[in-house]
Amino acid sequence: MANVRGCNLPDDLYYLVEKHVWAKPMDGGILRVGITAVAAKLSGGKLAAITVKAKNIGQEVMQGKSLATIESSKFVGPVPTPVTGVVLRANEKLATDPNLAVSDPYGEGWVAEIQASNWDGEKGTLVTGAEGVAAYQAKLEADNITCS
Amino acid sequence: MADDKVMIIMTSGPDTPHRCATPFFFASLAVAMENEVTMFFTIDGTLLLKKGMAETVYPKAGGKAVSGFLQDAMDAGVTFLACTASMELHDLKEEDLIDGVKMVGGATMWQVAEDCKTVLTF
Repeated sequence: MANVRGCNLPDDLYYLVEKHVWAKPMDGGILRVGITAVAAKLSGGKLAAITVKAKNIGQEVMQGKSLATIESSKFVGPVPTPVTGVVLRANEKLATDPNLAVSDPYGEGWVAEIQASNWDGEKGTLVTGAEGVAAYQAKLEADNITCS
Repeated sequence: MADDKVMIIMTSGPDTPHRCATPFFFASLAVAMENEVTMFFTIDGTLLLKKGMAETVYPKAGGKAVSGFLQDAMDAGVTFLACTASMELHDLKEEDLIDGVKMVGGATMWQVAEDCKTVLTF
């Protein structure tokens, strides 16, 4: 787990840095996706809801399109999907405790699981490993974002 | 009728500050859900589009001004339409309104409403 400007950024995840979301390959071509610690910080730190659009379940959502929405008292915005794929299920725990996405964004606070449509093709559009963390660091520095 | 278009008709204004944040919040939320969103301002809602006005309206004491919610919605890509008749009601001219607002007649409201799957009124 790398710590960049106060933000925890595991180097085993794939990031869509511009959108502050991550993807983690699971078994069978399934990807677990969620928001990063940076997104949690930018949303105000205390969330009112994270809602996966019900219509998206069982449907293919294109990379960068809205998978879910995130709401706090002062902010509302989309959670774009980092990969194209069919949405298999939402993390039901977020319905009762959206702040899991803040306290444990890479664990219990994941947002959805997706059957990737073109993981091999899209993998290269995401960043990962030490290089990925460095790319994310550059974004945080450029935008002057810190999580602490 | 398009299944990704929604409309919010805003009639509440500075006299009822507690009614003035949620409509903008819902508009931003609808954009985040991949909808094309139009806000139509009429009756007292139009007053919120007067330059400098939304900055003075606070839904919650010590909280975020309506201007912040309004700007979030505008930044998200919500279309802002102001009713010309309500501008006359409040003696407002086009130059009195903030940038990014289009003035239209009531018939446009009906045309947009007929093209939307959902219309909310506040």
